[in-house]
Amino acid sequence: MSGPFPGPSRRPRGAAVISLVLAVAALVYLYPLILVVINSVKSFSEIMANVVALPAQLHLENFSNAFSLMRYPNLFLNTLVVTCMGTGGVVLLAAMAGFKLSRTRTRYSWFVFLLCVAPMMIPFHSFMIALVKVARTLHLTNSIWGLGATYWGLGVPLSLFLYHGFAKTVPGELDDCAAIDGCRPLRAFFQVMFPLLQPVTVSVIVINAMWMWNDFLLPLLILSGAKKSLTLQLAAYNFFGQYKIEWQNAMAGVLLTITPAVVFYLVLQRHIIKGMVAGAVKG
Amino acid sequence: MTIPAVIAILLFVEIPFLMSVTYSFTRWNGLDKAVKFIGISNYVELLTSDPQLGSAMIFTLAFTVFAVAAINVVALLLAVLLDMNIRGKNVLRAAFYIPNIISLIIIGYVWRFIFSRGFDSFGALTHLGIFQLSWLGDSHLAFVSVLLVTVWQSIGFYMVIYIAGLQTVPREQLEAALMDGTGPVSRFFRITLPLIMPSVTVAVFYSLSNALKTFDVIFSLTFGGPGTATTSIALDIYKTAFSDSRFGYGTAKSVVLFLLILALTVFQLNVFKRREVQA
Repeated sequence: MSGPFPGPSRRPRGAAVISLVLAVAALVYLYPLILVVINSVKSFSEIMANVVALPAQLHLENFSNAFSLMRYPNLFLNTLVVTCMGTGGVVLLAAMAGFKLSRTRTRYSWFVFLLCVAPMMIPFHSFMIALVKVARTLHLTNSIWGLGATYWGLGVPLSLFLYHGFAKTVPGELDDCAAIDGCRPLRAFFQVMFPLLQPVTVSVIVINAMWMWNDFLLPLLILSGAKKSLTLQLAAYNFFGQYKIEWQNAMAGVLLTITPAVVFYLVLQRHIIKGMVAGAVKG
Repeated sequence: MTIPAVIAILLFVEIPFLMSVTYSFTRWNGLDKAVKFIGISNYVELLTSDPQLGSAMIFTLAFTVFAVAAINVVALLLAVLLDMNIRGKNVLRAAFYIPNIISLIIIGYVWRFIFSRGFDSFGALTHLGIFQLSWLGDSHLAFVSVLLVTVWQSIGFYMVIYIAGLQTVPREQLEAALMDGTGPVSRFFRITLPLIMPSVTVAVFYSLSNALKTFDVIFSLTFGGPGTATTSIALDIYKTAFSDSRFGYGTAKSVVLFLLILALTVFQLNVFKRREVQA
């Protein structure tokens, strides 16, 4: 991965200066997050006295406080269930439909395709009020399973679009081979086509998982009737919604909430960047 | 094989959307039995006698103009610098991308901490006046704060889009220009920028539609305050429906938001696509 200009062999003039300036800029840029880390291991009075100073000693009890205040293990699992259920469903529905629609060329299939991708142009906030009513009618509110299922409808359009675009480039002979071998269409799809769609599947998983893990408004709308907060983002909201914020625990809570996403990012960095670009440029 | 996807989309997007349009002609307090058809009264009210929506409109449009401009200029500048062959560029790219993987609601809270507690400490240390201002309490400064946090959170994403675009620029063209003695600035504006117009179209499209429906950061940073100074249209819709229990009226506002975003993004795509063809 080298810049196209002036070429991998030589560095531009002043490269060291640019590097240095950007490194300083990056430190300033990330300083708010660095402060979160520093203050997550300080006592409340230390935070009130001076945010910038390093802690006199490590107050790791902030993390155990936040851990139990947020009911972290429970909510981590809940958020993971929602993310996996939502993402898994989107991958399954979008891959099947995107592939199928790329193989049929009738006026009817064109209409179905439009029906499936047009929602990309409908902003969430313009139908959220009625969506709550639909979810209530279907008894999906106040349940993490209901939330996971709701994501299917919201996530499929973009993912279907990506699958459709890629499936068009996979030669149709492969479908015929599977048919001649006597595969039923559904089995042929999962054994022959689905593995071939893998590059899109990676992008689709990345885009949807990051979105669902970090999403706030839909969980707020669907789960707000529950007695306790049910996802990590909602727990963070409750943490800061209090009149007197216990900053030390709140900072630890912030770190506990974002760590899974940061780890996911560091492990899959390459795929995430590629997936996000694919989703943006083609969507 | 397409049926499950179609059902999911109909159920969770298209039917709710059509219901919104229908409910926008009713008075409805959220309870099922109390839906009353009132024609276009909601639309008349929101166009003629709703100062709250009016100020949300003005805030959202002003915010959008500044956010789109700032995000794209800063992101493109960063992309150009980080597309050069310099030491540590991969680490630097990752660093600028990090805020993008954190949820917007958390971002808002982190910055609330910085603006309140953090700025107190910075002020005590540096005695600079800017740290003693009320960045969330003054309505003009709150606008700047929301803008700053939004730009801070999102430039990583747009930087990546621009880097992907820059990597498609053929090196021969730039080298030919270098031979002709063209300086770096005019090389950028005469060769690079026209060639990456497709990326500009995409990045402006996304920043535009995201700015028009901005919600989460405001929700956690200012909750639309002080007063209604930073209330966006999306937040106004939320408050109308879920705080004031005026669901029918809220859906009318949401239809307006849909039309606004549709009109502006279609217009933007048309204008920018034309530039792409010329390039």
